[in-house]
Order: sequence, then structure tokens, then C-alpha cells
Amino acid sequence: MKLLTKITKPILLPHWSQDLFLIIPRIVCGYLLAFNFGAAKFGMPWSPADNNLGFFEVAFWFPNDVAEYGGIFALAPAFFAWMGAFAEAVGGLLLLFGFQTRIASFLVMATMLVAMFMQQYKEGLWMMLPAMGFLWASMITLILGSGRFGIDYLLTKNK
Amino acid sequence: MNNTVKLIVVVLLFACTSCVQKTYKKTVVFTLDVSEIKNVKKVGIRGNDKPLSWDYDTEMKEIKKDTLYQVTITGETGFKFTEVKFVVNDTFELQNEDNRRVIFSKKDTTFFKAKFNKR
Repeated sequence: MKLLTKITKPILLPHWSQDLFLIIPRIVCGYLLAFNFGAAKFGMPWSPADNNLGFFEVAFWFPNDVAEYGGIFALAPAFFAWMGAFAEAVGGLLLLFGFQTRIASFLVMATMLVAMFMQQYKEGLWMMLPAMGFLWASMITLILGSGRFGIDYLLTKNK
Repeated sequence: MNNTVKLIVVVLLFACTSCVQKTYKKTVVFTLDVSEIKNVKKVGIRGNDKPLSWDYDTEMKEIKKDTLYQVTITGETGFKFTEVKFVVNDTFELQNEDNRRVIFSKKDTTFFKAKFNKR
């Protein structure tokens, strides 16, 4: 339980306005991951209806893409595809609300590193930029947690 | 690794594998009217889902001289739609506009008719 509290409790910056400033990348990235990139490939209630995704279902094409990365990804493509899509859709939602921010940040970071180096690297630096953007944002929240403006703060402020 | 962890890993792998969207074989018969285009030499289609691609044409065959071209495409998909554009003499239709959205019929085969560069 102590470990979970440690993971949940955010580091507070000296002034509340600094925390307020740093929720911008967290909210923008969380929203885009949960409602755009993630929802297109992972079944959420707000996924596009024409994508025909069941709840928590990963899109049919994603495991095929993941298998092409080779190595360990080719051994369990469905598992890695599901984890990656879950990290984007659910991890994005957690980031948005600042709930279990560090766990969500770790999931998003791992997914973005895979996206950058296994998927976009061969397409050139320009194509790596979107994943890099999410990576930089999640690195900050991995260390700081949600700051003052998130559910994690409300849950741990008296602990 | 103790047995409980091994069991959790196996169950997780199995659970995730079964959470992949199911796919269905869908066939679309595309028919394109090119009657308003002069000197038609080559007609093709490009699209989102395999076997179509945005990188190269899939050739359409002439079924009525200088008027109608047709191709039948069959692919595995989980979506309810696909997106395509037609290409005549290596020139894309509907440039700087959205792709054509083809909603699959509930039956196995969908028939899609279009006029080049017209909605």
C-alpha cells in the first residue's frame, strides 16, 4: 500500500501556477491519445462506430503491424498490440484526469519508444515527431505525477 | 518466476489474443464511369485496405468502350467501410478532397458505382 501511495503522490512545484502550466501538455496529450489515436485502434465507448470495435478490443490490423517489427513482437503480436493500444486509449484517459499518472506515463512512454524505434524510425525523423511529442510529455509526468491539478493529488494530499 | 506469475502471464496472453477484432471477407465490385474523360488509356483504383494501396494502382478493366471500367476487390477487414479514390491516366480524382467512403453491404458483396471526379 505504501508503494502505491508513493507512486500516486505527485511532486508539487513551488507555486501552483507552475503546476497549472504543466497540465497543458498532460491534458493535450491525454486527450489526443484517448479520443483520437487510441480510440481508433482500441474499443472505447467513443471509438468511431464504423471502426466496428468491441469494448477493449484491438483493431484487426494492429497485431499484423506489430508482428512486422520482428523479434519478441513477432512472438506475441496480439499481446503487444493490445498493450500498446490499451496504453494509448486508457493510459491517455488516465493522463487526462491525472489518475495513476505515473503508471499511465510509464505505459505511454514504453508505447511511444516502440512506435518511434520499431515503426517510425525507418520513415525518417519527421515521422518520429508525433511519438516523440507524447514521449517528452509522459517523461515529465512520470517524474512529477499529476501535480496539484489531478485526481492523484486529491487522493494523496493528506497522506 | 513462480507458478502464479507464470499462470497470470499465460492468462493475460490468452485474454489479449482473444481481444483482437474479428475480421470478415468482404467483396466490393467497383464500377467507374469515365465517359466525360477523353483519351482514357489507363484506369485504376487506390485505397486504404489490402489488397488496395495508396502507393500503386490496382488496374480496372474496360467493360463498355470508353465508358465503364470495373474491378472486383476481395479483402479481410474488421471495419464497416473502406476508403478509395480512382486514378485515370495516372491522375488522381478529387484532389485536395476527402476520399470516397464505401460502406460495406451487410451481404458479402457490395456494389459501388461512381463517376470519375464527381461525388
